[in-house]
Amino acid sequence: MQFSDEDIEQLRPRVRFKVCYEVGFLCPDVDDIVQETLTRFFVAAKDDKVRNTAAPGAFLNGICRNVISEYRRRAQRDERMPETVPEPAGKGLQDADLFEMREAIASGLEQLSPRDRRILRAYYLDEKSKEEILKVTGMTDENFRVVLCRAKERFRNIYLEQTKHRGL
Amino acid sequence: MDLGLHRDVVFREQLATKYLYRRLSADLVDALESHYLECNECYEEVRGTELLIRGLAAPVIERRQVNDVTVIRFTESSQLLAASLELAELTKAIRVEKDTKVLIDLSKVSRIDSTGLGVLMNCYCHAVKNSGALKLLHPDASVKQVLNVTKIDSVLQTFEDETAAIRSFDRLQAPS
Repeated sequence: MQFSDEDIEQLRPRVRFKVCYEVGFLCPDVDDIVQETLTRFFVAAKDDKVRNTAAPGAFLNGICRNVISEYRRRAQRDERMPETVPEPAGKGLQDADLFEMREAIASGLEQLSPRDRRILRAYYLDEKSKEEILKVTGMTDENFRVVLCRAKERFRNIYLEQTKHRGL
Repeated sequence: MDLGLHRDVVFREQLATKYLYRRLSADLVDALESHYLECNECYEEVRGTELLIRGLAAPVIERRQVNDVTVIRFTESSQLLAASLELAELTKAIRVEKDTKVLIDLSKVSRIDSTGLGVLMNCYCHAVKNSGALKLLHPDASVKQVLNVTKIDSVLQTFEDETAAIRSFDRLQAPS
């Protein structure tokens, strides 16, 4: 199984997101874990150890889980638990990035109508079900899907723009 | 495990939202992660959902000064959870501005976790070290329960009435 540079560049942010999800977005060792995961994955792929080559996600996910477990075991062995909660800084989004991202998010939200924002808040933040929202607002299923897809399209584009812009 | 993510947009959103809120079972997390690691479309959808939730939950922190007390209020529904933007915003609002007498209105905060509590305590320590205090106003039932279970309410004074809360700062000694 062979991978091009493009494949690697596509995989990296996805693995990074999974690692951040597991160890926290502010963990200083995220990139090391990602690198180790990708290295093991490519070595295994080179040695034809990936059984289902059409769907290598599960295999990669398994490797990533192992690397994270090893990292956690090592961290537990080597370091004492901090007495105070560390300040969120450093390896997270830098202030400038955060500000830029915020601007993009805010402008994305501004493009939504107040009604759409209310519906999306109910769905995503208050976690109301689609049925509850339809009942309260009197919308049809189709209308709801349109609101959802329109908003998602906008934010997916914001994500892609930001990714491109920040070279992630 | 076929999650059927490409069959129904609403279902995918529901799954992505639960994933981001960490409410999926381990099996589903595993299946979703295995899927998005190889499916660009679903990965981008999850990230788009993440941004949308961040945007919708982005707090607008309102600060106002009553005598020498800074009253901080979230004007929109907010959550003080790990990696949420609200926490950075709150820390900034208190520590960067060097406020020492702070009253945080939690009426719009619907959820708080250990990281959120940690940040509150951190801000409290900062205020106390500078001869000030940090107090809480109007926590909702679920937040109040977390404060109670963790016994943080024995350290951070909680008020239901803003005037009484502001008056309680009078008893503090002025910094020398």
